[in-house]
Amino acid sequence: MKFGFWRYRCLLLLLLVISALLPNYAMALGEKATEPYIRTRTVLWYDVQWSADKIAVNDTITVTGKFHLYTDWPDAAARPELTFLGETAPGGSLTRVESYIDGMPAQQSIRGMELGRDYEFKLVLKGRVPGTWHIQPELSVKGAGPIIGPGKWVEITGSQADYKISVTTLTGIHISDLQTYNINRVQAWHLFWFLIGAVWLLWWLRRPLIIPRWLAAQKGRDEILVTDTDDVVAASVIVIALVATVAGYWYITEAFPYTVPLTGGSNKVEALVEAPHPVMIKDARAEYDVPGRTLRLFATVTNSGTHPVRIGEFTTAQLRFVNRDLPAELKNIDPGYPKDLIAPTGLKIDPDTPIQPGETRKVYMEATDAAWETERLMSFLNDIDSRIGGLVFFFDETGTRHMAEIGGPIVPVFTEQQMTKR
Amino acid sequence: MTKNDAAVLTAAELSPQAAKWSRTFDYMIIVIAAFLVMSVTYLNFLLLAGDWDFFIDFKDREYWVLIYPIVQIMMAAAFQAIFWNLFRLPIGATAAALLFTLGVWIERYQSWGGLSYFPITLVVPGTFFAGALILDGMLCITRSFVVTGLFGGVLFGLTFYPSNWAFLAPYFQPVKLMDSVTSLASLMGYTFARTGTPEYVRLIERGTLRTFGSPVWVSVFFSAFVCIFQYFFWWLVGTLATKATFIPVGYRFKQLYGMKDKVQSGGAKPVGAEIKTTGVVA
Repeated sequence: MKFGFWRYRCLLLLLLVISALLPNYAMALGEKATEPYIRTRTVLWYDVQWSADKIAVNDTITVTGKFHLYTDWPDAAARPELTFLGETAPGGSLTRVESYIDGMPAQQSIRGMELGRDYEFKLVLKGRVPGTWHIQPELSVKGAGPIIGPGKWVEITGSQADYKISVTTLTGIHISDLQTYNINRVQAWHLFWFLIGAVWLLWWLRRPLIIPRWLAAQKGRDEILVTDTDDVVAASVIVIALVATVAGYWYITEAFPYTVPLTGGSNKVEALVEAPHPVMIKDARAEYDVPGRTLRLFATVTNSGTHPVRIGEFTTAQLRFVNRDLPAELKNIDPGYPKDLIAPTGLKIDPDTPIQPGETRKVYMEATDAAWETERLMSFLNDIDSRIGGLVFFFDETGTRHMAEIGGPIVPVFTEQQMTKR
Repeated sequence: MTKNDAAVLTAAELSPQAAKWSRTFDYMIIVIAAFLVMSVTYLNFLLLAGDWDFFIDFKDREYWVLIYPIVQIMMAAAFQAIFWNLFRLPIGATAAALLFTLGVWIERYQSWGGLSYFPITLVVPGTFFAGALILDGMLCITRSFVVTGLFGGVLFGLTFYPSNWAFLAPYFQPVKLMDSVTSLASLMGYTFARTGTPEYVRLIERGTLRTFGSPVWVSVFFSAFVCIFQYFFWWLVGTLATKATFIPVGYRFKQLYGMKDKVQSGGAKPVGAEIKTTGVVA
């Protein structure tokens, strides 16, 4: 018994040591941990493109695309009144060169984005650390957190030592590498203060300390514990600290007379010009077939346009379910788009015939893929409102694309008997 | 050994053998106390002001200048009280500053540089050494925590900004980013993007302090004012920590932890052991 106890302890210790020594790699940035109601009903990304899937250190990659702010924004997440466009990438593996929303520079936060509207973004990033990194656009919403877009693995080749970023200030000072700028000055000052502090501590710690001083202090022998010499040293330390502070401040102010504060604040960006929406979806509801990993959507579609349209794609939470029988939709898929985000089984539609102008039709869509589980999107069953949202793309015979929001309550079904009969 | 050291040992009435062992004990305590001071000071700062000091583009002229000294004087004062009350050692504030500096540089290189690939110049820490040295020096000279709090507390707050500006000013040179003027620090923050750290989480000069001109000196003086009260409060907290009069080491305490009492092991039961606990009085 005693033996077993120690054996378990040794085993536990061994496991702890192994777990501490094993390298830990983060293969994603937490997007799967984001609640489904945020991923399906807030920022819906589409047309996202990466200019390359392999770049060298110092080369740039451009990520472009659009996002739609879903109208049925969940109450549990703050509205996008203050947002910031960024990217998710591990640490400093890439550096940001430029960022734009609707063509406007987006180095500041953006205020007043409107629900139901679309925005275009562009990110220019520069390779810094060699490796294969998962690069995603990200819109941070104050109160709701970062809402991450689709991601693609991008390889950066070369050596980090070659990375350079040079800047010239408005006062004409050229900085050859921002990565190391001013670090010597910072460390020299820290070292200076550290040495004075170390001298002061050693002045005291070199003496008999804990027990003798405590006993002497208990007897009220303060005069031998802190002497006149100590007072002189203490006064010197105060003078050195004050002189160094004043002299350092004076010197640096003379050396850098023109300084500006940190840049804060927010900009207002207008949404893209609203495109006509000839196709509308109403009365949508959904079922999720738990054992079949299938989302079934029931909706009423009205085509108030002038051309017949067909359903080409249903997209939500960066997953794309495409109608593989529609050539216009297949043409719409960028060959460089991450394959893991396009469901191989596609989107089944019934009836999959053109919806005529003026026609209102009940439509059934079926999106089957293991990604519902692997992307942890089925935890919507734990959401307080159990709703799902997404975008549906329609195409007319000219190949013109029309977008419509789809959304409604979602119900899990566990057996065939529970499924809605069609 | 100096005459003064000999006088202290004489006053303590330690035999030469005991004095030798007490020095060994000193070294052990110094190592343990160093870890304690480092971790407590660093943890306290991380919890209350961490973000403001992590990144160069978070060090604004209002809140960083205001919050940093107010937080750092807490442990400086508490450790000063502990070391002074027990051992008449005016080293608490400097020890907190020195060990914090050591810890923070290890963390910056290990976490931000090593694990996250960020350049160290993006994450340079501030320092409160000037104020800490003044606090300790003043306590040593005056032997009074009241005077130290009143004058040292003010100087602790006042010296923070200028002593840090001496090495941070170059980060605030004007540069152009996408046709807008910004500081080099802001440019660095934009360039070396941190996932999940959007621009708006920074609190950059919100409020109306600009009414008084440059907001930085208003913050500095207000910080110095608050530091006085922080010093006194945390001195009292430190003093309380030196008065360990409530640690039960008696009969009931032993019982509670299943330890054998003298009665159970055949010894005499102490008088009043059922209702009293003994304690260590500092």
